Amino acid sequence: MIGQSTVLAAEFPPSVEDFYLPSILPWGAHDSYWFTKITLLIWVSVAVIIIFFLVSYRKPQLVPTKKQWLAESLYGFVRNNIAVEMIGPRGVAFAPYLTTLFCFILLNNFFSIVPLIQISPNSHIAFPALLAVISYVMFIYVGVRHHGGLFKYLKAALIPPAPWFILPLLIPIEFFSNFMVRPFSLAVRLFANMFAGHMLLLVFTLGGFAMVSANVWFTPFSIVSWIMTIALTFLEFLVIVLQAYVFTVLTASYVQGALADEH
Amino acid sequence: MTGQEPPSKPHGDDGQNPPDTGMGMTAVSYLLGGMLVWGGIGWLVDHYAGTKGIFAGIGAVVGIAGGVYLIVRRLGA
Repeated sequence: MIGQSTVLAAEFPPSVEDFYLPSILPWGAHDSYWFTKITLLIWVSVAVIIIFFLVSYRKPQLVPTKKQWLAESLYGFVRNNIAVEMIGPRGVAFAPYLTTLFCFILLNNFFSIVPLIQISPNSHIAFPALLAVISYVMFIYVGVRHHGGLFKYLKAALIPPAPWFILPLLIPIEFFSNFMVRPFSLAVRLFANMFAGHMLLLVFTLGGFAMVSANVWFTPFSIVSWIMTIALTFLEFLVIVLQAYVFTVLTASYVQGALADEH
Repeated sequence: MTGQEPPSKPHGDDGQNPPDTGMGMTAVSYLLGGMLVWGGIGWLVDHYAGTKGIFAGIGAVVGIAGGVYLIVRRLGA
């Protein structure tokens, strides 16, 4: 009975260690994180997105096929409901990037509830952080180009319409909230949601095994715990879609801020 | 989700941006930012002046005031 919980090769209170999966390329090597399940999932998601959009748009038809309809409505959703809605008419130019971002985050988040995969690369801070850096560099670049020079952009971004004697008070706040909080909160929000989701599922799954192996009479509680896991998986689905949407919307809103003229 | 919708919205019908979800985040980050930045500066002043936290307190209050002012100016009418 004690052996049951070791079948999963994980002890009950799940820890951060559970996010570091064994190496694949040097098979089973310890402390080698160059090619793990996470790496594999990232490449799979990149390949899936590229192949899906290429295949579904290879022979576009007036009456779309199912695949084409899916691809078109994904792109149409991001373009109309995120890019144009947030940025305005100029947002169409950013629709490709935002769509790519949305699909990539959505698919990678979705891995966290696919049976037998059940971990999202976004539960490692490196991936959300890199995505946040891309969005960060992009909105600054867009702002610099729109305002015609770094200093003009900084002037527009940092100097609010206020009397001169309050400016020393306000400029540090503007700098902090525009250029320091933004990338940080983008990355941490996505990472923390994915991390917590995976942890929650681990707690309820492994908790069930822990209770069974502690005492047979706890079996009903274990079953409740596993039912909770299934319910939480559906909750996770909500979080997955919401976080992909939020990341994309916030990126669009930052671009909009960079493109904004005087308020 | 919006597959039924015709794919092209007329570009440039009006340049107006509707109120967006980004505003809430901006407001929160101004409030927290104000408190953290000026509270932090006040804490540094405390640290070097040897006082026990009076400047951090003043800084946090001043920072919140600045944050509220920024929200009104940037996000208000």
